[in-house]
Parts: sequence; C-alpha cells; structure tokens
Amino acid sequence: GGYTQSPGGFGSPAGSQAEKKQRIRSQNIVPCTVSQLLAAEQVDETFRIRDVEISQVTIMGIIRHAEKAPTNILYKVDDMTAAPMDVRQWVDTDEAGSENVVVPPGTYVKVAGHLRSFQNKKSLVAFKIMPLENMNEFTTHILEIVNAHMILRRNLMSASRMPQSFSSAGIGDVGGYGGGGSLPVNGLTAHQSQVLNLIKNCPIPEGMSLQELKIQLHNMSMSTIKQAVEFLSSEGHIYSTVDDDHYKSTDAE
Amino acid sequence: MGDVHEVPRRRIATGQLAQYIGQPVCFVGRVEKIHPTGKLFVLSDGEGKHATVELSEPLDEELSGVIEVVGRVTNQATIMCMSYVQFREDKSPFDLELYNEALKIIHEFPEYFPFS
Repeated sequence: GGYTQSPGGFGSPAGSQAEKKQRIRSQNIVPCTVSQLLAAEQVDETFRIRDVEISQVTIMGIIRHAEKAPTNILYKVDDMTAAPMDVRQWVDTDEAGSENVVVPPGTYVKVAGHLRSFQNKKSLVAFKIMPLENMNEFTTHILEIVNAHMILRRNLMSASRMPQSFSSAGIGDVGGYGGGGSLPVNGLTAHQSQVLNLIKNCPIPEGMSLQELKIQLHNMSMSTIKQAVEFLSSEGHIYSTVDDDHYKSTDAE
Repeated sequence: MGDVHEVPRRRIATGQLAQYIGQPVCFVGRVEKIHPTGKLFVLSDGEGKHATVELSEPLDEELSGVIEVVGRVTNQATIMCMSYVQFREDKSPFDLELYNEALKIIHEFPEYFPFS
C-alpha cells in the first residue's frame, strides 16, 4: 500500500539545554494549526511562529477539495482554525500505482510536509498524506500542538536568557501542568527544571548550595530539592564542586 | 458549502454556546435524537450536555455516532448547521470525553492554538 507510518508527533529535543539553544529549528517536525502556519513570519529562507523556527510540520484536517494534475495533486485541508490550506503532493510519474491515489474530500487526514510561501501565499508541500483511521489521533494532535509550541517557546526563552523564565514560578507559568510539577516536560519535572535553572544561573564560582536553593525555592521541601539534585546529577546536568552541598551546571556558559 | 468554511470556526462544547452567539463554530458530539422532520437533531458533548443543531434542509440519511458540525450559533444558542461530517469509529471508538478535555486545554492556551 501507499501509506506507511509518518514521522509523526513532535520530535522532542531531548538532551542538554545547551544543545537546544541553537537547534530549535528545522530538525524537528512540529505539529501546527493552519492558523499558525498562515501567521508564520518569513525571514529569508526561514519561517518563525512566534520566534520559533519551523520547517517540517504536521497538520490534521479534513479534505475539502482535491484536484489531480499530471505532476501533482492539490488538496485543500481544513482544520477549522482558518480557511483551508493548500497542500500539494508531487506525484511520482515514473512509478505506476498506489502513491498516486487521490484521497477523497470529506476524509480526515494527517499531512506531513514543508511550509512554503509563494507570492505571499502559504502552502504545504506534503511528503506524506495519511487518512486517519482512529479519530482519537486528532484529539492527540490538538494536545501535541499546544505541548510542542509551549515547550519550543519555553526553550527559546531560556536559551536567550530572558529574565522572566527564571522566576521561581518559571515552570508554574506553564499553567495546565499544575502546581505539583509531577508531569515531565522535556524529560525533567517542573521541580527538577526549577532547581536546574537556579543552578545554571548562579554566578558564584563554587556553584549553588543546597541552603541557597532552599531559600529561593521556599515552597519546595529540602527532601524534594535533594531528590531533584540527585536526579540532575545522575543525568549529568550538574556536578558537585567543593562538597556535596554545592553544585554547578555542566552547560558551559 | 458557504462562507463559513473560509473563516476560523472555534471548537466549542455546549457550555460555551451562549458565549459565541452569532459566531462560526465547530461542534463535535454524539447523536442523541433526531427530530421526525429531519431538520433538527440533538448532540451530546463530552460532558453529556446537549446541544441542538438545526438544518436548512432535512437530513437525507440516518445519522448516528459522533458528528462534527460546522455552523453558526443562533440567538437561541442552537447551531445552524452548514455542514457536518461523521467521525469514523469502524476501527476504534472516539473518546468524546478526552476531546472535551482537549477543548479545555486549547481554550486555556489560545496563544498556542490560535483561531486566527
């Protein structure tokens, strides 16, 4: 058949914060709404959605229109966030068969492709168009969009060292994830992220002490702080300096 | 199809109908009952709350399961339907409750899920 598993989902930038700095860009495939794609700003060859660079994207919507031409199929895909978007799929004229089957209007699909702009009109060039067999994927896609853009923006803010991301409510701003901070974001829980951010920002040569962490994180118990420090240390994000009570970040800054 | 398909249509649940009177919306719900005239049907959202959907032409098919309606909210907080599509459930049932939770998220974070 013509349809295999697409790259799918949001390629989460795992690993140290330092790697993410420069590379929150086209290496990821980012789930988006059509409205976000239409609002993306173009500077030279790159597109940015609220400062986050994007290139490969996924959208999910219903096919409103399909037009077959000799070398390509032009779809209009509608996800309700804006007018339907033009999605072009190039047809391999050398190969006979299933790749060239037109997906009928009224079908919900997942599209993976590259964002393009021509004469100020945005469109997608799709490398994969897959009919949805399970509509729960659509619900997941909605959630992944919010999650992906939130994380990408948060990483961008912390990479450019904007002050507001280092308040003790830094991760708490990510509203829906709750005060308990038990839901991992980017591999770190909210508590771990807060501890790590404070340690990274500490200018003192011997690093940040546990006592100082306790003073800054007044709503976190010492045992929670110690657990976070142990985890971050075992993952290689921080290391102890003069003694087991002082830590510095492994990210060279 | 009409103009309503060329503009943003906010995804909403029953509880938000009153807020969006006159607005184009997208409503997903389970068919509860169909009026004998075929010009009106009732959907329930993920919290079980009912919404009334009106049609300008009577239905020409038997509707059941989960339906996604595109239309405009009337002054009576019903939805004047411009088009609808049935969600396929042949392989897996659609989790309407989870969809409702997702709606709450996108309403809480409009900056990450804009309806331009």
